[in-house]
Amino acid sequence: MALTITCPVCGKRNGYEFKYGGEEKGPRPEEKDLNPQAWCEYVHMNKCVAGVQEEWWFHKDGCGSWFTILRDTTTNLEQEKKEAKK
Amino acid sequence: MIFKSKPLWGEKTKLKSSYDVVIIGGGLHSLATAYYLAKEHGITDIAIIEKNYIGFGGAGRNTAIVRANQRTQHNVPLYKEALDLWPVLTKELDYNLMFNNCGNLNLMHSEAAMKAARMTIATAQFHGVESHLIDAKEAKELVPALNISENITFPIHGAMFHPPGGIVRHDAVVWGLAKGAAKNGVEIHQHTEALGIETKNNKVCSVTTSEGKINTRQVLISAGGYSAALIHDMLGIKLPISVLTIQAMVTQPLKPLLDHVVSSGAYHCYANQTLKGEVATGAHMDPWPNYTTLNTAHYIKHQAEALSEFLPCLRGVRFMRIWGGLADMTPDMAPIMDGNNQVEGFFMDCGWGYFGFKSCSAVGKYMAQFMATDQCPDIFKPFALKRYEEHRLMGETAALVNYTPDN
Amino acid sequence: MMNRLDHMPTLKIDGFRKIGFIYKKKKYYGVEGDTVATALYANGIRIFARSLKYHRPRGLYSLDGECSNTCMEVDNIPNVRCENTLLKEGMVIKEQNVKGSAENDMMSFIDKMDWMMPAGFYYNTMHKPASIWPIAMKQIRKAAGLGTLSPDFEMPGIYDEIFPTTDVCIIGGGPSGMMAAVAAAKKGLRVIIMEARPWLGGFFEYRSSQYKPGKDKGSQSLHDRALELDREVNALENIRVFTHTSMVGAYNNNLITGFQIGKESDLFDQRYIEIRAKSVVVATGCIERPLIFDNNERPGVMQIGCALRLANTYGLLPGQKAVFSIGHDLGLEAALELSSLGLNIELIADIREDGQNPELLQKLEDKNITLLKGWVACKANGKKRVKNVELSSIDGLASKTVSCDLIVASAGMTPVTGPVTIAQGKLKYDAHTGFFLADKLPEKIHVTGRLLGLDNPLSIETSGTIAGLQAALDCENCSIKEIGDIKKSLKNLPGPTRGTKLVTAPVKGRKSFICFDEDTTIKNIKQAIEKGFDVPELIKRFTSAGTGPGQGGIPGHNLPLYVAKYQALPDISIKPTTTRPPLVPTLLSTYAGTNHIMLKQTPMDKMQREDGGIFRNIGVWQRARYFSNDLTCKKEIENIRSNVGMLDASTLGKFRIHGPDALKALQRVFVSDMSKVQQGRMKYSAMCNDDGCVIDDGVITKLGENDYYFTTSTGRAGQTVEWIRYHTRYDKWNFHIVNLTDSMGVINLAGPNARKVLAKIVDMDISNEAFGFSEYKEFNIKDCIPVRAMRLGFVGELSYELHVPSSYMLSVWLMLKDAGKEFRIQNFGVEAQNVLRMEKCHIILGQESEQRTNLLDVGLEFLWDRTKADAKTIGAVALSQAEKDKDRFKLVGFKMEENGRAPHDGSLIVDEKVRGYVCTARDSFSLNEAVGMALVDGPLSKIGTRLEIYEDECNGKRIYGKVVEMPFYDPEGSRMKM
Repeated sequence: MALTITCPVCGKRNGYEFKYGGEEKGPRPEEKDLNPQAWCEYVHMNKCVAGVQEEWWFHKDGCGSWFTILRDTTTNLEQEKKEAKK
Repeated sequence: MIFKSKPLWGEKTKLKSSYDVVIIGGGLHSLATAYYLAKEHGITDIAIIEKNYIGFGGAGRNTAIVRANQRTQHNVPLYKEALDLWPVLTKELDYNLMFNNCGNLNLMHSEAAMKAARMTIATAQFHGVESHLIDAKEAKELVPALNISENITFPIHGAMFHPPGGIVRHDAVVWGLAKGAAKNGVEIHQHTEALGIETKNNKVCSVTTSEGKINTRQVLISAGGYSAALIHDMLGIKLPISVLTIQAMVTQPLKPLLDHVVSSGAYHCYANQTLKGEVATGAHMDPWPNYTTLNTAHYIKHQAEALSEFLPCLRGVRFMRIWGGLADMTPDMAPIMDGNNQVEGFFMDCGWGYFGFKSCSAVGKYMAQFMATDQCPDIFKPFALKRYEEHRLMGETAALVNYTPDN
Repeated sequence: MMNRLDHMPTLKIDGFRKIGFIYKKKKYYGVEGDTVATALYANGIRIFARSLKYHRPRGLYSLDGECSNTCMEVDNIPNVRCENTLLKEGMVIKEQNVKGSAENDMMSFIDKMDWMMPAGFYYNTMHKPASIWPIAMKQIRKAAGLGTLSPDFEMPGIYDEIFPTTDVCIIGGGPSGMMAAVAAAKKGLRVIIMEARPWLGGFFEYRSSQYKPGKDKGSQSLHDRALELDREVNALENIRVFTHTSMVGAYNNNLITGFQIGKESDLFDQRYIEIRAKSVVVATGCIERPLIFDNNERPGVMQIGCALRLANTYGLLPGQKAVFSIGHDLGLEAALELSSLGLNIELIADIREDGQNPELLQKLEDKNITLLKGWVACKANGKKRVKNVELSSIDGLASKTVSCDLIVASAGMTPVTGPVTIAQGKLKYDAHTGFFLADKLPEKIHVTGRLLGLDNPLSIETSGTIAGLQAALDCENCSIKEIGDIKKSLKNLPGPTRGTKLVTAPVKGRKSFICFDEDTTIKNIKQAIEKGFDVPELIKRFTSAGTGPGQGGIPGHNLPLYVAKYQALPDISIKPTTTRPPLVPTLLSTYAGTNHIMLKQTPMDKMQREDGGIFRNIGVWQRARYFSNDLTCKKEIENIRSNVGMLDASTLGKFRIHGPDALKALQRVFVSDMSKVQQGRMKYSAMCNDDGCVIDDGVITKLGENDYYFTTSTGRAGQTVEWIRYHTRYDKWNFHIVNLTDSMGVINLAGPNARKVLAKIVDMDISNEAFGFSEYKEFNIKDCIPVRAMRLGFVGELSYELHVPSSYMLSVWLMLKDAGKEFRIQNFGVEAQNVLRMEKCHIILGQESEQRTNLLDVGLEFLWDRTKADAKTIGAVALSQAEKDKDRFKLVGFKMEENGRAPHDGSLIVDEKVRGYVCTARDSFSLNEAVGMALVDGPLSKIGTRLEIYEDECNGKRIYGKVVEMPFYDPEGSRMKM
């Protein structure tokens, strides 16, 4: 496969310029009353979606920004991001 | 004649509406568990549900290396038992699993690596597993093709030599276990897809498949790389797993050249020669999750570069075939084996990454015990899912893993 | 040597230029343009190799490398496919996999033992009793494998690599490929053509049959038409043609790989080509589908294209007396051409009862060549080469035997689908043509000609034009209407013709080979099916059919066809087996291309080497680890403890972070309270991951408001920016972080005399009062070189860490060296530093920690500030949760009992179980005893606990140590503060 990723700054580039940064799980939870289960859920647990998922990427050999894309994990192809996301 | 023309794993039968045990996935861990359930525990009313054909996934895509030189004391005994089981299974199943006990040579490219190797070797020796640290010259005596000169990217300092390891013919294990399981009454349903698991009062009650609904009290998901997604989709249980594609390839067949499995962490590469004479090599994973089993241009090139350095004679050999399989990686490179914890009657056996082949026999044996008795065997206890929230990662890897953001 | 035919325009040889080569230690001659195989053929060699399993004789069959029949050792390189390797002067050719010679192979008796070796027989034999297996295995290994490679073989040659980008990449330079290229190029696009043969022209190039473009246009030969198209392609400057280039891989987003064989004039032997294209056209045409009958691979049996090209391209008449058993008009055409070149055609058996081109039939009649319709070859006789052939009617009712020395056998055509499948296109069996045709194609991939089922030359060309324009449309350079118009014209041309579907003659198939490389017979396939292996993919695994060097070229199409037929399955169930890259076996040296060593060097690299540094790779860097062959570094260590030395620490990570939210970002990633760092002051702190495990430590200096300079460990420097940005990615904070690792060098000047040395080159007061321990100063040397200096005590002595711009590193280093002369200043390396800091129990992450070691485990809890929950510091939650767990590993210091030596790093701490391990331990010269640090189970961490140490190779004999207070050396820290 030859993954390509669209960086919001640099455009569509070879996937090897980037580093994967995990499933999109939302901002860091508040520390107060964060029990071990909830902590573990945020830090370690994945949905392992076989299909389109929103995920983080870092343009390591490029501009150095973190951003999310939609990618189909069953084809390894980037999907176009819908404008209005719920 | 030796050859009997009977289907190896039984005639095709129709799926029944109820079984004592349903196992989702037709790979090695499933087949081994079913085999031991039937043989050791007299539980024979078992259906193995496989979406494709048995051995379609990791079971048929690994490079068949077996060894018991893991890093921690929780893992070594399990893999040791698995290693000891190959000759036993060959006999029991009356099927030649072609265990080539050629030994594994794990190259070390720095003082730090030599130190790490000492710990692994001491751990092996402490558990009665043979493993030795040897220097570069000794390594070259074992593998004359090795380049032990200084002018390569990662000069070889020495190696961890593990004589009890080797290679097993992976397809033979699939077919042999299927044969053994079927002989004991296990039904193998190929081209049947598991669609859901139904629970009542947090207890397993049935499994829905493409061929109908099955009532059952116990279900095991051991579907290799597909386990995590299935477990999440069917039961809503999230796992600390990232599913990555791992690649391997073979060269054209050669007369005997490599007598041992050679591997190198620094080069991300292993190589061994199959009985057919092909040099099988691989190791790399693209560090992002995906369910494709596609290979990459990037990797085959990398592999050639790596081998060109430490086994330079292979520059004159041709790559013939490259393929990919799935590895379900956990943050601590150790599997998750659990049961009756999240849902009563639900068992899981996943997160094996690229160790699923070498462990299948022993895991099948203990998973069968677990399911038959509803008591978790001691050897499985450290592998429960809860370890992640208890901050008790297994330590199978010394360094931080690079396929999660968590480094 | 055979006489060459010399009058055909299609010839690619120069009969006057002889090329000498060595075969079996004897000198032979071929001519320029020969492949190794044709040169051997010209010299009367018919048996090139013996087969893998049965040692059957094998000869020329396809000329396009679809099987391993002509794999030989060329210039010590094994498994070279001689049929597409050009002959070069002085080549040394050897046979493979033979005992004796290919002609007289002592192993050939195995061919009669096939009854002992049904499909999968290995699995059922040789394991009873178990002691047989290791012996049997040795024999299997010896028997297996084709070529031999010496372990000290050095591959000669130059291997290049290029990575072009293009608009359109066309795979295949036959008629449709060239048409596609011209169509796309005329739209102004950049086009690349990859063609496997050394010349363009494909299926047209070697044929003298007439090409009839239309009523009003004149007639020309297919060969002339190929030349015409070639000229057209070459006239367009935006088409780049790679000939002798095999396409081997296709990946997502149209990444195509291949390799090119260099010509005499090229500066490379082979080069790897990786093309990123906007659009791809697969114009790979077809190969022949092998006809299966008994002994269908005996030397003397060959495919139509092989026979025809031997004559037309290489000037070699393939035999004297030939029988044809074919299923396609190409067979009739070839018979006519070869007949006119002097080949005696005894008989043509055509699988088809009807449907032959009437013109060809007429010509055959004119030439008195017998054609039996509905007949097929059943068995080739002749031990080493064909002597006669048994033929029968398709139904097996009538039969006859005809003597001959050549059987031209082919069941029909089959498209080359490999590139489509590896590009993830889906194929579907087409009952009309009997082909696998492209069904679902990935985006921006188009197919032409045979892959659409087409057979007529003009239709094939037109389909090329359409594909070229579709590719142009992908690049937004063409209108849909234009394509529609041409599509209409294709509709008026002949469409796909009916193809033959016969796989095998009516024989039992014990010696009918479906896969040559693996010696798999029809009988083997039946055996596998009866065992329950009912899908082609499983049969492939069980019988290994299609897993040999020919990449499935021979069985690829026949296997699924046969499996379906044998099980009486409907057409819909006929599924092709998987094709995997590389489509053509490719040398590792070609893939490797030019190897690069990518390790980094510090500004002091050269000088340190000159000073006798022994270098090691440490992470991405090369560093001086020792300065003498004494690997205990005694002198280096003693020099630091008593005098002064210099270490190149340039690999340390160095960063500036600034901007309104810089402090917030630091608070997020460092466990300490960074708001407490005063301007011009510094602080040691650590970073954890979310598990609370320490991932980095370093020193943070406040340069100004929201402006900090900080260091990280060498290993983490590459990930620091990523890490900080990752953990602030939701916060929309405004800060900049700059990686200064490469632009700043670091000198660690250490030892009791360090101040005296430094004082000589700086113009300021650096007394202990003016520049005390753990203080930070900025100054210029010689009013010019800016230096950031820190008084740290990593090695436990008075020391200065001098951060200097990389460009000035050498100057400062030389000044210090010069200033230190009177003290006999010395270099020290990474290992000496390792021991020195160990004596002080200063940890190195990765050495005194592993993946699961948290901040508390290594005794750094004093760094952790618990009062900044709002900062959401990475690792804080995990640390507060894990704090209660008393069983975790703890870092302890230990001394060996009874003046024992230090255990090996990595030794275990044990009782009945493993309880921990030794991180670093050394016989300390400073302390005159063996000390070390270990990570042990919490309950073992109490001072005074006896540690049972299990070393590798100890044979059960343990050594003992005792947990002691840390640090070992200078516990008050007075030496680093002096």
